[in-house]
Amino acid sequence: MLAFIGRRISLALLILFGSTYLTYQLAAYSGDPLAGVRESTDPNKEVIIAELTKTLQLDVPPPARYFLWLQKALGLATGTPDLGNTVLLRFPVIDQIATAIPITIRLLLLSTILAIVLGITFGILSAIRQYSRLDYSLTFLSFLLFSLPIFWVAVLLKEFMAIQFNDFLARPSIDLISNIIIATILAVIITGFVSGTRKRVLITFGISFTAVFVLFFVAGATEWFRYPSLGIFGITILGASCAVGFTHVFTGLANKKALSAGLTSVGLGAAVYFPFNALAGPGTNYQLMMAFAVLMLVSSYFIGYFFTKIDKGPVIRVSMLSAFFVGLFTVLDKLMQTWDTYYELSNGRPIETMGSYNITLKTNDFWILNLDLLTHLILPTTALTLISFAGYLRYSRASVLEVLSMDYIRTARAKGMPEREVILRHALRNAMIPLTTLIAFDIAGLLGGAIITEAVFGWRGMGSLANEAIVTQDLNLLMGTFSITAFLAVMATLAADLIYSTLDPRIRIRK
Amino acid sequence: MATNFRKKKNSTAPMEGSETGSGNIEVVGLSQGQIIRKRFFQHKPAVAGLIFMIFFTIFVYSAAGIHLGTDQNKISIPGWWKYSHEDIVPQGSCATGCPSPDHPMGQLPNGRDYFSLVMRGSEISLMIMVVIGGLAGIIGTVMGSVSGFFGGIIDAVMMRFTDFIITVPVILIGAVIGYNIGNAGVLLLAVFLGLFSWTGLARLVRGEFLTLREREFVDAARVAGASNRRIIFKHILPNSVGVIIVSTTLLLSSSILIETGLSFLGFGVQPPDVSLGRLISDYQGEFIYAPWLFWWPGVIIIAIALSINFIGDGLRDAFDPRQSRRINRKDFLAKTSTRDAVNKR
Repeated sequence: MLAFIGRRISLALLILFGSTYLTYQLAAYSGDPLAGVRESTDPNKEVIIAELTKTLQLDVPPPARYFLWLQKALGLATGTPDLGNTVLLRFPVIDQIATAIPITIRLLLLSTILAIVLGITFGILSAIRQYSRLDYSLTFLSFLLFSLPIFWVAVLLKEFMAIQFNDFLARPSIDLISNIIIATILAVIITGFVSGTRKRVLITFGISFTAVFVLFFVAGATEWFRYPSLGIFGITILGASCAVGFTHVFTGLANKKALSAGLTSVGLGAAVYFPFNALAGPGTNYQLMMAFAVLMLVSSYFIGYFFTKIDKGPVIRVSMLSAFFVGLFTVLDKLMQTWDTYYELSNGRPIETMGSYNITLKTNDFWILNLDLLTHLILPTTALTLISFAGYLRYSRASVLEVLSMDYIRTARAKGMPEREVILRHALRNAMIPLTTLIAFDIAGLLGGAIITEAVFGWRGMGSLANEAIVTQDLNLLMGTFSITAFLAVMATLAADLIYSTLDPRIRIRK
Repeated sequence: MATNFRKKKNSTAPMEGSETGSGNIEVVGLSQGQIIRKRFFQHKPAVAGLIFMIFFTIFVYSAAGIHLGTDQNKISIPGWWKYSHEDIVPQGSCATGCPSPDHPMGQLPNGRDYFSLVMRGSEISLMIMVVIGGLAGIIGTVMGSVSGFFGGIIDAVMMRFTDFIITVPVILIGAVIGYNIGNAGVLLLAVFLGLFSWTGLARLVRGEFLTLREREFVDAARVAGASNRRIIFKHILPNSVGVIIVSTTLLLSSSILIETGLSFLGFGVQPPDVSLGRLISDYQGEFIYAPWLFWWPGVIIIAIALSINFIGDGLRDAFDPRQSRRINRKDFLAKTSTRDAVNKR
């Protein structure tokens, strides 16, 4: 095993060497980094060109110059790695990358997690209800999302989710016709999850239509979108429905222990509502938030642990997930309380179409700053989630279907195991193995950045650095960003192979 | 030997059909090709996609005409549409350039007819798509099959080479060819993109070959004295053709997105050439004042990619007997009333 890893790592280094070499040559021969200076009317043009040629070592032909770059990048001569400076402003490349990486992670982390969670959940649903209405609709949706160019989605989102939503906030009442349209669309979606007789479907449609209609009517009448809040009652009701939902998924509602564990966690969440709101003022920090999260999760773990004696796993899962969502709702409620202030500060245009944060915002309020980050995140996150959601949906559906046709599933069913256990314990665990490859590559791609998304939404992450490097012919910047991406891609391949063989003992690493 | 093998292959289809419980009767006495065709034509979205692609391709190429070669020696066959994408026409009846009978997709501020631009763009995007897909399909199949069949050191070397290709950024290829070499031509761009996008297919084909070469019919062929070449081309390749066709189709739909994405960033197709991505990139700012300039190319990209994805899905169902049971719920309940059916799912 160790020998295998060692050999693969040394091979990976060799691949990296080859790919950086090729990238360097491609980039070096593709254009002239001095083109900008040559066209300028600066009287000192010749001096600048001579100086740049010297600092960038342009007199050395690219095949040899690569080795000079490599020597500096590895820090062979000085002991400290040096990726050089950017051509135009002479910033150290390493600093540029160091500022870009957190931005890129902020951009991609949430959407990657959302896409994985939603995609796998809906993929499983689609597979266990194969050839149902839900399956067909999800299949169509995934194909549609597969076919969407992200920049096109981005322009649409900017128009409808940002500009028109901001216009709507100025007069946040919902007229009857749009309310009926919204209620119909949402009711159709909710009904899609229900299977059974026509009567049951129609009843579900009726109930969800009425519920959504009333909800939006009240929201419109009270101008909820302008002055949103959940309050302790909203949090408790939403949390309780989460607890019931998770119990239904993981153990079935017949398991009263799981249900009461989940509801107790929700009760805990409701109990800390007022202390939390008193503590978390404008001067809060991330440490306090982390402490809150840890407190909720640990106490819900023990709630689940003490509520049952046998088969603790699913019960603990239910109570921890319930606690997580109650905590999320509490934080959301707190953010909603600052919405009005933020609305005024942003001059009535809260949802932003460009950039990663608002530089003109003059405040130190923890909640307003975070709300600002979130309103800038919402468009790119939606766009990226939509696009990568489809991939996870298709892969997990195919994978679950494959596993469900296996003999051990038949055996599990034959010995009388409940269908829920068959799916959760036998099918899912095996179906998730092939997905690790996909996840490994996606996580490696986190740092590489999303060139198109960053360009459309004006974020200064790794993707826009790479973009800029190509446009300005900046070899140092280009090599800096691309070698990180290449390194992560190689490592992801290796990690995927290793994880795969660890999770699935049937696959042995060939000696 | 070959005839025996063929017989065996044909006879497996009804057997696999019987596993599904319903396919038995409908496929008796049909050859493999006939079964696949039958299954494909049962898949309605795929057939709709195929019909759309055929008509759309004919429509686009006849409307815009065919233009080949560089500026010096150009072969041009004009299409039936009255304007060419290079014509500058005076602004029509609508001052904002909105769609009118004379300009069904509107006009640009500088007077160009948008319909002819969109048609020319679709032509180029389709051409790039086919070149990338075809080239990547061929390279991926060859790499994957050689690697999977021979295994050992050949496999290791070829797979590490694949890893190497994965690390070379596609955007850089686009930039070098499209952006910097300038108008070396759209075809060159497509060829280079194709040379770097075969990696996924190669891995899939390799996996397929790795399992197939362990099967009995390969051993039988080898015992009978068949050469490696014969085993690859006559025995394994026909059995993995499903995987290859399906993933090549999906490769086609992703390559149109790669091209449009690159062109959107300004790295792909360079002016005066147009492509669908280029058009969106150029006129996305006009969304509020002239939304048709934005909608048309986008809708066409989605329609092309969606049809191809559906064709791919139909082909997957047609080639994979296990996944092809498109029975509606009523049939399902009528045919299988017991839990026995659930077990087979």
